[in-house]
Amino acid sequence: MADTPVMLMLAERQLGRLAGLLAFVGGLAVFGLMSVTVVAVFARYVLNDPIFGIEDISMMTLTVVVAASVAYGAHHHAHVSVGVIKWFAGRRVTRITDLIARSLGLAIVSFATYGLFSKGSCGLPCGQITNNLSIVHTPFYYFLGVAMASYAALLLVHLLVGLAHWRGEDPNEAAD
Amino acid sequence: MDGTMIAILGFAALFVLLFIRMPVGTSMMLVGAVGIYMIRPQASLPVVAGEIFAEASNYPLTILPLFILMGNLAGVSGMSRDLYDAAHSWFGHLRGGLASATIVGCAGFSALSGSSLAAALTMGRVSLPEMQRFKYNDGLATGSIAAGGTLGILIPPSAGFVVYAILTEESIGRLFMAGVLPGLMLTGLFVLTIWLLVLRDPEKAPQAAAAEPFGERMASLGRASWIVGIIVLTIGGIYTGVFSAVEAAGVGAFLALLVTIIRGKLTWQNAKDVVASTLKSTGTVFLILFGAFVFKTFVGFTGVTFALTQWVEAQGFTAMQVVIAILLAFIVLGTFLEGFAILVLTIPLAQPILQSLGIDLIWFGVLMVIVLEMALISPPVGINVFVVKGIAPNVPLNTIFRGIWPFWFAMLAAVILVLTFPNIALFLPNTMFG
Repeated sequence: MADTPVMLMLAERQLGRLAGLLAFVGGLAVFGLMSVTVVAVFARYVLNDPIFGIEDISMMTLTVVVAASVAYGAHHHAHVSVGVIKWFAGRRVTRITDLIARSLGLAIVSFATYGLFSKGSCGLPCGQITNNLSIVHTPFYYFLGVAMASYAALLLVHLLVGLAHWRGEDPNEAAD
Repeated sequence: MDGTMIAILGFAALFVLLFIRMPVGTSMMLVGAVGIYMIRPQASLPVVAGEIFAEASNYPLTILPLFILMGNLAGVSGMSRDLYDAAHSWFGHLRGGLASATIVGCAGFSALSGSSLAAALTMGRVSLPEMQRFKYNDGLATGSIAAGGTLGILIPPSAGFVVYAILTEESIGRLFMAGVLPGLMLTGLFVLTIWLLVLRDPEKAPQAAAAEPFGERMASLGRASWIVGIIVLTIGGIYTGVFSAVEAAGVGAFLALLVTIIRGKLTWQNAKDVVASTLKSTGTVFLILFGAFVFKTFVGFTGVTFALTQWVEAQGFTAMQVVIAILLAFIVLGTFLEGFAILVLTIPLAQPILQSLGIDLIWFGVLMVIVLEMALISPPVGINVFVVKGIAPNVPLNTIFRGIWPFWFAMLAAVILVLTFPNIALFLPNTMFG
């Protein structure tokens, strides 16, 4: 079986680090989201004094959690696919279908990344702010964009690794 | 090319993409984006970016990471183990009692976690060695774990209900309440199934654990009171209207964190595991949601739902006939598609038809989630089966599938009961919300 080129291994490792970093931020955000919700409940029911705009904070925190989780999930094979093709076809076919699936996946995730940066850059002039606290959406669009870009880069690496292992077993088969 | 033809091509393309193992979320996003481009080229990019941001910042969806976090904390804190121990203590001495204890444990854990996989994995790790120690039939042991795990998406909090609620714009609280009685009923049906199986063939559960003294049983119940307390507070809070579903998720996660700290289980490693598991499960659901909403917009642009609704009305089908036909289609789809994929693929098409026939979408949601549960254990791709296979590598897959069939029929019985008596699902939400 062919070895994975060093550059690709390095790239995958670096993307893993980026996903780990995003997961660290996402982890803090999950506990932050929990804390914000508990504080909102305490203020509403115990102090009888709801905090204005706290939903806005929850929503933006959720964006951070989701962005981190999509990127981290991609690196840990969490994105669900249907594995029925293995019953009908062997590696000679799946190496081609995997190439197509990864290429198309790369295309749409890159398109989404571009869309997030493009739409998010407009910000305040386009009315992209939260309802109560007027938090501008731009940095959250960008964070989602970074997460999707990380996913796209991983798909590109897996596509190249798949090509490098064209004649043997693909270490990332069914991982994307 | 007219909208209907574009929609048909879109669905065909989607099935091809799913067949070649493209992830469900990105497949739907791709077909949706290309489809929208074919109808309104300038709308494609804004829709993709807008839907991703809209779902990532959708306040009701806050519930998903919080309930997932709560379930994961319950696992590392040992609360799920306490629950199984209590069920074991009360039922373990009965014939087939360890399998029944697994079902009851899964049902209890499901009330803390919205994930079927988490329920099967957590309870399976605890209960399988016990059942093997008492020489339970492999099929019965693994079947009860796989089936018990499916209760995770029926008993609230349920990720399935949250996704369904977001797609259909129904109330998450109503759906959660609608899942309670069917969840309890299905738990009872599973226990009944085990009892019948062992009655018919006592060799399936040849030994039973020794009956524990009453004091010991009460002590085990006391140890489980943490988890029971959190369940009562969160689900009871939603029912009594004290909390919204999102607030209940936050409070539940916070209490689970407190218990984890009190028990000294919040080690760095456990914290990392909990965060990693929470992010992975959250990422799985949200990528599918991103794709589902882009795809849903595409389906709306084609106008195919209007054409389909008109066609159904012209045929003169009754509401019940349509519901049964859709559920049968779901059962068939469940043999090769993952449950969430079925939900997000079909709801954009089914919802307008159901609404035009005046069908209660809460009732239908419960039916749909039970059918999705069947998909989780239907051969050949039942995902819970592979989770159980991971816990029991020495048990052949065929044995697990054979063990599952009785439970699959118990679920079918639950579907028929909820179809015949809609109040099983609607009683609680109606008494709560009117």
